[in-house]
Amino acid sequence: MATTNAPKRSLVLQRRETIVSYLFLLPALFFFVGFVLTPMAMGVVTSFTDSNFNNVNTGSHFVFLDNYIRLFKDPIFLKSAWNTVVIVVVAVPTVTAFSLWVGSAIYKMHSAARSFFRCVFYLPVVTGSVAVVVVWKWMFDKYNGLFNYVIRTMGGQGLMWTESEKMALWCIILILFTTSIGQPIVLYVSALGNVDHSLVEAAQVDGATDLQVFWKIKWPSIMPTTLYVAVITTINSFQCFALIQLLTSGGPNYSTSTVMYYLYEIAFRTTKDFGYADAMGVVLAIVIALFSALQFKVMNGGTTE
Amino acid sequence: MKKFLALTLTLVMVLSLAACGGKKEETPAPDDSGNETAAQTEIVWWAFPTFGVDSGYEQELADAFMAANPDVKITVETIDFQSGPDALTSAITAGTAPDILFDAPGRIIEYGNAGNLVALDDMIGELKGDLASESLLDTCVGADGSYYMYPISSSPFYMGLNKEMLEKADALQYVNLEGDRTWTTENFVKMCEALRDAGVCMTPGIVYCGAQGGDQGTRALVNNLYSGTIVGSDGKWNVGENGVKALELLKTMYDNKSMDAGFSMAAADELQQFQQETCAMTFCWGTSNAKSYASEDYTQISVPFPSDDGVPELEYLVNGFCVFDNGDDAKAEASKRFISFICDDAEWGPKSVVQTGAFPVRASFGNLYEGNDEMSLLASWSQYYGPYYNTRAGFAAMRPLWFNMLQQVFNGTPAQEAADAFNSGANG
Repeated sequence: MATTNAPKRSLVLQRRETIVSYLFLLPALFFFVGFVLTPMAMGVVTSFTDSNFNNVNTGSHFVFLDNYIRLFKDPIFLKSAWNTVVIVVVAVPTVTAFSLWVGSAIYKMHSAARSFFRCVFYLPVVTGSVAVVVVWKWMFDKYNGLFNYVIRTMGGQGLMWTESEKMALWCIILILFTTSIGQPIVLYVSALGNVDHSLVEAAQVDGATDLQVFWKIKWPSIMPTTLYVAVITTINSFQCFALIQLLTSGGPNYSTSTVMYYLYEIAFRTTKDFGYADAMGVVLAIVIALFSALQFKVMNGGTTE
Repeated sequence: MKKFLALTLTLVMVLSLAACGGKKEETPAPDDSGNETAAQTEIVWWAFPTFGVDSGYEQELADAFMAANPDVKITVETIDFQSGPDALTSAITAGTAPDILFDAPGRIIEYGNAGNLVALDDMIGELKGDLASESLLDTCVGADGSYYMYPISSSPFYMGLNKEMLEKADALQYVNLEGDRTWTTENFVKMCEALRDAGVCMTPGIVYCGAQGGDQGTRALVNNLYSGTIVGSDGKWNVGENGVKALELLKTMYDNKSMDAGFSMAAADELQQFQQETCAMTFCWGTSNAKSYASEDYTQISVPFPSDDGVPELEYLVNGFCVFDNGDDAKAEASKRFISFICDDAEWGPKSVVQTGAFPVRASFGNLYEGNDEMSLLASWSQYYGPYYNTRAGFAAMRPLWFNMLQQVFNGTPAQEAADAFNSGANG
């Protein structure tokens, strides 16, 4: 009897556990469907319409691919797309490399020193973006800003910083860099601390140099973390918005406008063409997905196999 | 124990879900006898800080009205100029717009033209016979000829100068401080050059062109320097020959450092620089900004914009209310009653006008700033009010093109080329 009852009991238990698991997931699923999937679906549908502020009450019409065709004829969108790509291409490798370097330098330190550095680098992340941008704005001020004050004190001529078409995007990337490195550093410190020390010791006993230990032992071990850092930084860089809105409003002459900022400007500030703005959102989402997929592919899904 | 824990957690989750779908609470208010009545109409008022930031005046008004009208309950929600416009767009598209909005014609007429507002024609009739200036009503009318804004007060936009800096640079001689203080482009240029040569400030003035906030100031400057207009005779957005000439003059001044360009600045940034005495003038001075950016360190002089013929055409602000069409006649009626109370009541009307720091649209309110020479001077500038274009179709789309055009000119794009791009973009 015991042998025949055991699998049945196990099945009942399994079913119960499954039901409980789904119940636990239910609230998250509710919010995910309500606040992520539904708006996404609505956005995709709206991108094929001429929906705008003026026809909210009267209803919009399907325009098929018109919004997407318009995107590629809009010079401001193309400029914004180029700026977005520059931000991603510059920010992602630098943030990843710098975080790895800092992480490598501090993970062996005494816990107090390690905590101190983690706090220092994490501070801009937990500080509100408005506060961060206000401080940077003051530092970049061409009249009374800190940077130009230092330059003038040393006998130089103040720079234009965010006022210059050539420099403004780099100022944005610099701020984005400082606010993006906090989390990767914390992750790398943790990942490097979890690398199997016996493997490192074995390699050292076999005569491996520090560089060889890093590339052959540590780098493969922290690959999942690197993949996560790269993907998250890519997404954050693509979606860079608040600091552009607060610092330059996309200027001068759209030199700091990104797809995300231009989308906002179209949807809320200028023509209020919701369909057109949604088309930008859809294109941005597709590009982010492609970039992330490419990163997964290049990094073998975070494994060394 | 595990079962109990799982059950508890499940209950918490179910309750949290139930809380998300909570029913809207209805709060019947007591009538005179202290009994609750179901007939009370609830209205929501969204107010930009035109009555002052955190002044509490909006609630004071609502309390006074509710005391006299117990059948109406008003909820006041203040919004700011930075995030308020986006919140309004979201609320309107989501069908959760407030009942009343206190704002200016630019947005209100846009909402009216899009069919979101209740026409106020029945209220305007009585106001028509009591207007300080007939043109003020032009700012309240939508494309279909209906009135969508009920105005309360208006005031001009003008320039502010730092008197002590001008004295130090011996540049005050170029400014007319007599009569209505009108002056010429020629003297404006001389004043800027004198300020530059004296080196009393980091830059004489800043043509801010980083965002659209306060862009009426830079438009007034460009339009006045050579008596240009932004709307052509055909009704289209147009920076014409005189506008191009003004842009070229500003570029020349930028090149010879008698004027600077603020590529990442909006009016608020320029006003801060004026307050901190980085520059000697502001192009976005007004009754409200004169309060917000006041300084005890120097004397601020108000002057109209300079023009080639000495006759300025000033931009002006009109403050007013609109009622959203939320499909409830009772709410619309209560909203209109409340607006009338704020603007027309013998006690609260004049008080509200003064609270806005502007001048009444009702002639019967008379001079509310008796004995104040500065306010009397500013009130007299209503004779220089130019054509009001903020309610024209495409105004919102034109604004980002405006400051980008200025950026292009200062960055070396020929003024005519930048103006052509603006004209085609704004009318596109």
